[in-house]
Amino acid sequence: MSQAVVEARAVRKDVASAEGTLSILHEVSLSVSSGDSLAITGPSGSGKSTLLGILAGLDLPSSGEVILAGHKLTAMDEEGRAKVRADHVGFVFQSFQLLPGLTALENVMLPLELHGAGDARQKASDFLARVGLSERLSHYPQQLSGGEQQRVAIARAFASEPRVLFADEPTGNLDMHTGAHVIDLLFELNREQGTTLVLITHEERLALRCQRRVELVAGALAEPEAELSPAL
Amino acid sequence: MLALRLLWRNWRSGEVKLLAVALVLAVAVVSGIAIFADRLDTTLVQQSNAFLGADLIVSGTQPHRQAWSEEAENRGIEQTRVVEFSSMVFSGDELHLASIRAVAEGYPLRGYVETSHEAYSQQPPVRADSIPPAGEVWVDGRLLPLLNIELGDDIEVGEHTLTTTRILVRQPGESGFAMTGARVLMNLADLEQTQVVQPGSRIDYQWLVASDDSGNLAAFREWLQERLTDHDRIRDIDSSQRQLAQTLETGERFLLLAAVVGVLLAGVAIGLAARQFAARHVDQVALMKSLGAGAGRIRQLYAGQLLILATLASLVGLVLGEGIQRGVASSLQSFFNVALAAPAIYAYVLSFFSGLVCLMFFALPALWFLPQVPPLKILRRELAVNQTQLWIQVVLALAAIFLLVSLFSRQLGLSLSVMAALTGILVMSAGIGFVLLKFSRRLSTNAGSIWRLAVANLQRQRGQSLVQMVIFSIAIMLLLTLTAVRTSLIEDWRMQLPENAPNHFLVNIAPQNVEAVQSFLDQEGVDREPLYPMVLGRLTHINGEERDRSLGMNREANLTWTDTLGDDNEIQAGAWWDEWSSETGLPGVSVEEGLAEQLGLSVGTRLEFSLGGLPIEVEVASLRSLDWQSMNPNFFFIFEPGALDDFSATYITSAYLPNDKKPLINELLRAYPNILVIELDRVFEQIRSIVDQVSQGVQLVLWLTLLGGGLVLFAAVTSSIDGRKREAGLLRALGSPRRLVIGSIWAEFSILGFLAGLVGVIGAEILLWNLQYWVLDIPVRAHPTFWVLGPILGAVCVGTLGAISCRGVVTTPPAVVLREAG
Repeated sequence: MSQAVVEARAVRKDVASAEGTLSILHEVSLSVSSGDSLAITGPSGSGKSTLLGILAGLDLPSSGEVILAGHKLTAMDEEGRAKVRADHVGFVFQSFQLLPGLTALENVMLPLELHGAGDARQKASDFLARVGLSERLSHYPQQLSGGEQQRVAIARAFASEPRVLFADEPTGNLDMHTGAHVIDLLFELNREQGTTLVLITHEERLALRCQRRVELVAGALAEPEAELSPAL
Repeated sequence: MLALRLLWRNWRSGEVKLLAVALVLAVAVVSGIAIFADRLDTTLVQQSNAFLGADLIVSGTQPHRQAWSEEAENRGIEQTRVVEFSSMVFSGDELHLASIRAVAEGYPLRGYVETSHEAYSQQPPVRADSIPPAGEVWVDGRLLPLLNIELGDDIEVGEHTLTTTRILVRQPGESGFAMTGARVLMNLADLEQTQVVQPGSRIDYQWLVASDDSGNLAAFREWLQERLTDHDRIRDIDSSQRQLAQTLETGERFLLLAAVVGVLLAGVAIGLAARQFAARHVDQVALMKSLGAGAGRIRQLYAGQLLILATLASLVGLVLGEGIQRGVASSLQSFFNVALAAPAIYAYVLSFFSGLVCLMFFALPALWFLPQVPPLKILRRELAVNQTQLWIQVVLALAAIFLLVSLFSRQLGLSLSVMAALTGILVMSAGIGFVLLKFSRRLSTNAGSIWRLAVANLQRQRGQSLVQMVIFSIAIMLLLTLTAVRTSLIEDWRMQLPENAPNHFLVNIAPQNVEAVQSFLDQEGVDREPLYPMVLGRLTHINGEERDRSLGMNREANLTWTDTLGDDNEIQAGAWWDEWSSETGLPGVSVEEGLAEQLGLSVGTRLEFSLGGLPIEVEVASLRSLDWQSMNPNFFFIFEPGALDDFSATYITSAYLPNDKKPLINELLRAYPNILVIELDRVFEQIRSIVDQVSQGVQLVLWLTLLGGGLVLFAAVTSSIDGRKREAGLLRALGSPRRLVIGSIWAEFSILGFLAGLVGVIGAEILLWNLQYWVLDIPVRAHPTFWVLGPILGAVCVGTLGAISCRGVVTTPPAVVLREAG
């Protein structure tokens, strides 16, 4: 097994609520090797999104450790975690999260520009061509269909060539056919770039495409990690 | 540069447009007012200095020092000299004690000498472009009949013969009453030959200075002040024309107030626009943070965008403001035929930075939380974001207001009273608004569906409705305040100089001519005051003791007697003749109360006067108040009829002579050459024209500020339009008719506008009371029309704006509206 690029050790997440402390994650431990793809499944409210946020360094656990690309996120401040995200992480969201005032091209350019890449425009339009949207560069999100919007989001995620891509229900807002197309695209780029993929999904067929799968039930891993398909 | 690119994208998507427009208008309104006010101020000061003929006059019994001249020259300050004295002028056997002014090249430094070629001409006088050439004199019209000469004849001044070439109509530096002899203007070069100036002769040497650079002048004045002796007196417009100076000062304060109101309104608009901008950017920031931008980077990116935006907007605003002030100035110039002074550079700098200050204090607080938006927000949209607390924003905005008000007005009193009033009003209007909103629910239960829907909406978003209402109230309050201040200021000024106030004084009418003069004036239908007898006398003893001369009233006073009390006189203590009886058996005298206080007199005090060496003792019968501004003959001492019968009197009256009746003076003077006519009409005309200029400026500035008010209303309406669009879209999707959707939005904003109008009127009355009482020093009064106008105008304006802003939702398919509104 190659070196773990994402690792969670005994991660707990408690939040204060009106009824007292609510425990969302209990002692979750998992590890994802470089180039692997992991599906996190589970019913609504089981803590999937919380776990994803913690693994990606968007949030901090109440206790436990998270290591991402060799950086101990739990020992860093927000600025440090932002730097790790900038260098190693990409996201694809259920609701696409494209900025409505920016064209498709500009949406893809944004992370590149934030990293100070000099060839942002060229690179962004290359990636949009890779997802089949070279004709749509100057369209605004509201002029694009849901599937097209998610393809823009995928182009944006891969454009900064992250080591780890986190996807939160990437097909949740799409019909089956479009969803399938987006899934194909996601795994294709994942393979090409050797990106590590961590995704949350309800969809069985998406989970099945991942090399590994874990299920969260009421904030705990329901069963030990199981190899679902042989590693590539 | 990423910030620039982001700004451009935000601009394109319309997210910064409102902010930009608010900023541009803020700077435009502020610079328009500030630059215009600065020009008007400089012009008015120069204009009123035209009264003096200079910016400063140093006068004394000795000529000014050579060193002063050299210093002024070094500092680039203009200067000239005047020598003033009384002397006999002769022609043949006729002679007259004239008031003579010998002037040097450059006189006057401010204003003009006006002359004509005919005495008491109906033609407008001509501005002289030089001083009288050596060998020539310009003389008062009344000198001609007095010396029995025509224009072009020679007169003798002392030992020198000079030719009369023009009639002197007006010259700067006249006080109207001080000059008793006919005026003669001559060239200083001729003075020596007259041999009038001898040791011991009473000469007033005046040194006139002026500079367009007021800072330079102030510095010079300071330098000069240290070198003046007890014999030198320094005069400027403040010391010599107190009333006019007061008018100017009040006018200036109004302009400042208007600028302040402009800044406030624009600031509120900026704050609202910034809140909207911030709300729309929460997602964008969360996204950028998830993409790895830290809080520092976000701060840098947004600060960069704002700085660029502020700079560009300030520049555009400045250009617009320059256009506005030029437009205003040129309309004013064509209207009044005055050349406005060039604006000072600091007005531009101040305006430019006011944009940045506005942004910093009004916009930045609203945006402050943005870098702290947690990146997790991108995954969990329901996550609450710690938006900047409203109260922090309000406190910061108040701080900004204080800073800006102080910066613009340089008056702590004005700043403090605006601040205090605003804070009070904020609290009060929030309270009143809360109660009114609550009450409106009960009223609407019987109303139609449109109103019920509207009231339900207002209730549901009570917080937002309240904030909006407070903002509308502030805008309405400020506009009403400005309107009221303007109106009462102008009225107050106009009242200082009533249209038909007497504009000519006739002095030195001989007793034997009284009836003839009276009937002459009456026959010609001249509006005149009664003829008062006048005897010159000096007050020598109080209660039998020689009086303390340090208390004043050392000159000879004009004494009169009458049995009827003048309209503008009022008895404050003691009694008028009909109810008075002497305790001591002495005749009675009525004394003006101010003088009585100064000299320590009360009813019953015995006074002794010396009239041409003859003593007369009287008893104080009453103390009177009187209106010195009425332009009627008024007296410090009025004697009981009969008390002065033993003394020979001359008579005085004042009359209103419109321009077409001016030739009557010539007739009158031909018949009675001893009468002295003091023409105040031209002085009045000039005062009136200055008052008109200030009023006009005030009016135009008011319109500019109204523009700012409109912008605030617009910003406040649009800031809540996103949410309303979503709701309206939903209602449309559910099949509500267009009428109901637009109608309920219109009703909602109308109710808000109506309540805001009501609260605004209350606020305006309070603010007005404060301003009128503490700052502007004009009478306090209530404004009943506001109570009707405020709520109605509020409802109409706000309701219409709301309906217009939302009309898109009924013309666009609901799906699009819902998608756009997110």
